[in-house]
Amino acid sequence: MKKSSTVKLILITAALASCNQKKKEPEWGEGSKTYVRGDSTAPYTRTHYGHGGNGLLTAALWYYAFRPYGNYSNGNYTRAGYYSSAISQRSNIGSNGFKGSVTRGGFGRSGYSVGG
Amino acid sequence: MNRINTTPRNHWQSAVEKLGFGFHTSDVPYWDESAYYTFTSGEIDQLEKATTALWEMCLEAVQHVIDNKLYPKFHIPQEFIPYIEKTWNDDHPAIYGRFDLCFKNGQVKLLEFNADTPTSLYEAGIVQWFWLQDFDKSKDQFNSIHEKLIAYWKYLKVYLNPGKLHFTCLKETLEDLTNNEYMRDCAIQGGLDTKLVFIDDIGWEAETSQFVDMENESITNIFKLYPWEWLANESFGKNILADSNQAFWIEPAWKMILSNKAILPVLWELFPNNEYLLPAYFENNGMKDYVKKPILSREGANIEVVKHYGTIEKSDGEYGEEGFIYQELFELPDFDDNFPVIGSWVIGQEPAGMGIREAKSLITDNKSRFIPHLIV
Repeated sequence: MKKSSTVKLILITAALASCNQKKKEPEWGEGSKTYVRGDSTAPYTRTHYGHGGNGLLTAALWYYAFRPYGNYSNGNYTRAGYYSSAISQRSNIGSNGFKGSVTRGGFGRSGYSVGG
Repeated sequence: MNRINTTPRNHWQSAVEKLGFGFHTSDVPYWDESAYYTFTSGEIDQLEKATTALWEMCLEAVQHVIDNKLYPKFHIPQEFIPYIEKTWNDDHPAIYGRFDLCFKNGQVKLLEFNADTPTSLYEAGIVQWFWLQDFDKSKDQFNSIHEKLIAYWKYLKVYLNPGKLHFTCLKETLEDLTNNEYMRDCAIQGGLDTKLVFIDDIGWEAETSQFVDMENESITNIFKLYPWEWLANESFGKNILADSNQAFWIEPAWKMILSNKAILPVLWELFPNNEYLLPAYFENNGMKDYVKKPILSREGANIEVVKHYGTIEKSDGEYGEEGFIYQELFELPDFDDNFPVIGSWVIGQEPAGMGIREAKSLITDNKSRFIPHLIV
């Protein structure tokens, strides 16, 4: 019942700024890979969400919910997708090879939140 | 158990946001530290004991449902039955659940069991703990959620399939994402290699019959904050049965039995007059005071409270198609028109702590508030 140790969070709070902090993410267009941007048209910028709605959530928190996500592999950062489906499906595919036999979108249509 | 009014911390919003808790307020407050509940250690012992007993009864009830093929009562898709039984017989990893309890006049009664996708984990494990550190460090809380999650992930590590442990939830819901990422945080601290993929982004590789993430990395273990009844009925649902990896889905499919309110009449039939259970049936059985609940519903939707044969409260919603159960009314305690439900967590087979949500009515819905607690 009693807590004996100090509570430590290594992911949640750090993730407010960035999903991966080991290495700086490459700039758009850097190197030979082509990254498809969705944020030039999709409404998910920090400013928009920071001041939108009823203004109760900070820009950083909204950025957390809508930021790109990805992983490091062999020292290279690979964008896996975006947190928001507001970005077009095409932009949300990622930058690496896309196998033709993979289909997506077969889950996730039953509700907006788990709640309860 | 008492409810004490108090003054919220100065800048409490930024204090909780620093913890990564961003959904403290929507159109109504959710996190509410203008009050807190107190419990004696004797009362906490009682809640712990009840949680242990209920968990043991639930496990027996699952076996009973399987042995007696009671699946139609639960409206479980026929094609998933062999898979459910496999996950039960092969002891697929399960980590947590939350009993919703009524605690009144020294009695503890089970209202329902959120066994598959319980939320408010982060509020209960982290946010209320840090509230207590600011409020009164000398006091304790019924709360070892964080420690138990880390310890159990560490324990489960050797039982998982080779490969990463993926985590998944819906997009664009900060509440689900926070709960999901908090769980991932604990798994990382338990030594697991994890990766996030949103449920909408999961792919199916037809050539190999495997689920893949956004980088086409094969999924062999996946923690999901997404209910089984949704998974099973979506277009990729049947692929779970055809998965050549036989990935572990956590919570496992046998939790479909416990997260369904049809388990309440089954428990009452198996353990009649048990001190922690309320009479519950598939028909109203002549009861004059009862609560009618859909077997599958979320956030207090489609609940009807009947007293002296008359409806006193009713909530809207879109559930009920699969049928209802009827549970004897045991009214929540009334603290100046605040009605608290205790969410008692079981993690790795053990009671692990609690969170309290209170509403302004007998139905605890998605407008309920989370209130911290301490032990006096």
